[in-house]
Amino acid sequence: MKQSKKKRSKEYTFRKNLNGYLLIAPAVIAILVLSVYPLLQGIWISFLNYDMTKANAADFGTFAGLKNYMVIFANSKYRNAVMNSVVWTLVNIVAQLALAIGVALVLNEHLKGRGFFRTAALLPWAIPAAISALTFSALYDTKIGVFNTILIRLGILKEGYSFLGNVESAMPAVIIANVWKSTPFLMIFILAALQGVSYDQYESSAIDGAGKIQRFLYITLPNIKEPMAVAVILNVISIFNNFNAIWLLTQGGPLDSTEIMYTYAYRQAFVDHKFGYAAATSVVIFAVIAILTIIYVKMISLDRD
Amino acid sequence: MKRTRLETGILYGLSVLIALYSILPFVWVFMTALKSPEQIYNMNQIIPTYITLDNFKQVLFQSNFVRYFLNSAYISVIVTVVSMVFAVMAAYGFCRYHIHGADSLKMGILFTRMFPGVLLSIPYYVIMKKVGLIDTHAGLIVINCSFVLPFAVWNMCTFFLQIPWEIEESALIDGCNRFQAFMKVIFPLAKPGISATTLYCFLMSWDEFMYANTFINSTLKKTVQVGIRDYIGEYSTDWGPLMAAVILSLVPVIVFFIFVQDSLVGGLSAGAVKG
Repeated sequence: MKQSKKKRSKEYTFRKNLNGYLLIAPAVIAILVLSVYPLLQGIWISFLNYDMTKANAADFGTFAGLKNYMVIFANSKYRNAVMNSVVWTLVNIVAQLALAIGVALVLNEHLKGRGFFRTAALLPWAIPAAISALTFSALYDTKIGVFNTILIRLGILKEGYSFLGNVESAMPAVIIANVWKSTPFLMIFILAALQGVSYDQYESSAIDGAGKIQRFLYITLPNIKEPMAVAVILNVISIFNNFNAIWLLTQGGPLDSTEIMYTYAYRQAFVDHKFGYAAATSVVIFAVIAILTIIYVKMISLDRD
Repeated sequence: MKRTRLETGILYGLSVLIALYSILPFVWVFMTALKSPEQIYNMNQIIPTYITLDNFKQVLFQSNFVRYFLNSAYISVIVTVVSMVFAVMAAYGFCRYHIHGADSLKMGILFTRMFPGVLLSIPYYVIMKKVGLIDTHAGLIVINCSFVLPFAVWNMCTFFLQIPWEIEESALIDGCNRFQAFMKVIFPLAKPGISATTLYCFLMSWDEFMYANTFINSTLKKTVQVGIRDYIGEYSTDWGPLMAAVILSLVPVIVFFIFVQDSLVGGLSAGAVKG
């Protein structure tokens, strides 16, 4: 008896909310079809023999078990890409975070023309990735690039140095370009968090005689810690997932010195046409992203409760 | 907190430095776009002694740039309209009705935004090949919706949560039906959020490079982010026209920036920090 009543009330709430379900249906179905289904299909392909250059082979599209994974894990180019991904992500996030905190602290001060300075600081973030990459390939260029021009005119260099063409300098060069492009995004979050720190706390600390550095460590930092952590996770995801910043400057070269997992997967898929290997590499990327995303979701859910 | 004069001076100095750091690359791009080829290769001409509009003329009248620009605009407008209509509907549904498992569903939608594009691009290629969407704008529109739509839904949900919904109820009591109540009472309130999200969606689609580079082969179908690379040859690059094209391709971005920069600091970060 009780159960059927409960069931009826459930049915009732469903019917009352039917319009709600109808309203979310198009978006949910579209996302299932456009993202979730391809994701599953991609994971599935990572377990198949799927070499597009051998599309007529007898075993094409058959189940391969873990073969694709075994092949890529044994490949030194893959391991090189993993190492580069770690370097790329860590250096990027540390540099961006340090710079973002510094810039946010300056732009949070009451100064005349602060609006202009903030707008200017945000500009690199608004620039399309493809365009900022083009800009930096011009800045770094051996013949016309402004860096080389200045270094030669100062007499430091005799002739143009190819920042992107040398193994030693390519990774630092692409990281610098990406730091320029991505720091403002992190800065927005920190600035927003700083605006939430109440003035009273600073006042009372000033009365207590705390210095600038102490004030930052004991008042500012604890206050902005959580939003900053969320922003860092989000940024790590986007750095790790970054394609344009590297592909458009060096395509992973020279000699794979800037090849990260993402560009490696892309190369296997659309340069070498080995979809099975590419899918397996991409699934590893996805696993890393999934862990980071779960941390991110946990953090923002905690924040809400 | 009182600042000493020295501290204020240092802060101004740092602010100017930050602004220069952000803007100077584009000042240099702009200056390069205004140079003749000889000036571009002349080391003594960091700041050009005379300027020419030849590069801009070449980009606008003697190349496919305008075509690429229109392709991008067409794709981005459709992606934006479709995503926003779906997103506003969904956000309203999530906010105003009791949806079973709404929170997990929303988190799932957020999760799809993090899917690595390279993993999706492989099945996209296989599927599009099957249904004949390779090298078509329709295919690119569908694919761009895959990352614009989840963003739009999530962002609209955040904005809708901030709306005082009681006023909709009073409009209902005053005899409006739900659609009228939404259009007359809620829409004006939600407008800043909707317009900011719309612009952002447009830009996300406008900026997209990887899929467009992978799935479009015909020259005349290229988007601006891909087509702009026409000036880069295998052995040499047409720097003047390239830099002019860079400047021209930024027009929609700058328009976007002028519109939303006030609400940026609060608005966008709120969507990501609060669930």
